[in-house]
Amino acid sequence: MTTNSGFSRHGKNSFIAHFGQQERDVLVNLSEQLVEILAERIDGQPTDPLEAMIGFTGHDSPPDDEVLLRLLPNAYADPVDSSEFRRYTESVLREKKRMNAMAIRSHLLNSDKTEVALDHQTAQAWLGGMNDIRLALGVRLNVEANSHEQLELLSPDDPMRGVYAVYSWLGWLQGTLVDSLMDDVEG
Amino acid sequence: MSIQEDTKEKADTIEDPVFFVDRPWITIVWDDPVNLMSYVTYVFMTVFEYSKERAETLMLQVHNEGRAVVSSGRREEMERDVQRLHEYGLWATLQRDDQ
Repeated sequence: MTTNSGFSRHGKNSFIAHFGQQERDVLVNLSEQLVEILAERIDGQPTDPLEAMIGFTGHDSPPDDEVLLRLLPNAYADPVDSSEFRRYTESVLREKKRMNAMAIRSHLLNSDKTEVALDHQTAQAWLGGMNDIRLALGVRLNVEANSHEQLELLSPDDPMRGVYAVYSWLGWLQGTLVDSLMDDVEG
Repeated sequence: MSIQEDTKEKADTIEDPVFFVDRPWITIVWDDPVNLMSYVTYVFMTVFEYSKERAETLMLQVHNEGRAVVSSGRREEMERDVQRLHEYGLWATLQRDDQ
């Protein structure tokens, strides 16, 4: 799976890449999966009426699911401090990640050309969203324990081989967007 | 933002009067096999407005040593930093400076 050249900067506020239909479908699909994974965490009604009013989900224990735990990590080593922090901040973090994934999805679905042109703000959402997708794929591939060499050598009928191909492609694509955004912060 | 400047600030709440004096809180970023090196550098430049040189030094420290202290200050400030780093997908925690 290849894109011609990834993202490149055009003028001050435009970052452009070209996608084939397959690449577009894959990215839409992965964005939707990310939204679904995050939605698993939204459950239960808060019992406190004030908490309900301000939209608290009241999660104070870390997610059991490894992917969710990587996306919504503990802020403290101490479990008590960590729970307290999570209780007040996790819903905000989750919403931010959901919005990033939705930005990728709707941008791809709403443009009928192969060209994807992002302004600076949308590019930020894409960066975060692509990174979250890679974090999720990284957990599935267990990149912590498996070296790139091992992953390159996966057998053709291993379902993880395709996952690794997407993971690699997305890393490359994200890298081209980082490089084109770097000028803004370097100045 | 330097450590010296931050330690001059007083904490809003005194929850532990023996330890809070001169012991700032720190934000630590931990190594992660997924995040791209250029991305981590970019995040440090964006979130903390660090120079590219400083951001790269910290990124390499995370990569080579497994962790780096990326900011220090009051607890509330470090909680904001950790939250922003989590938004970008970096693996960050905060703790009282034990040095």
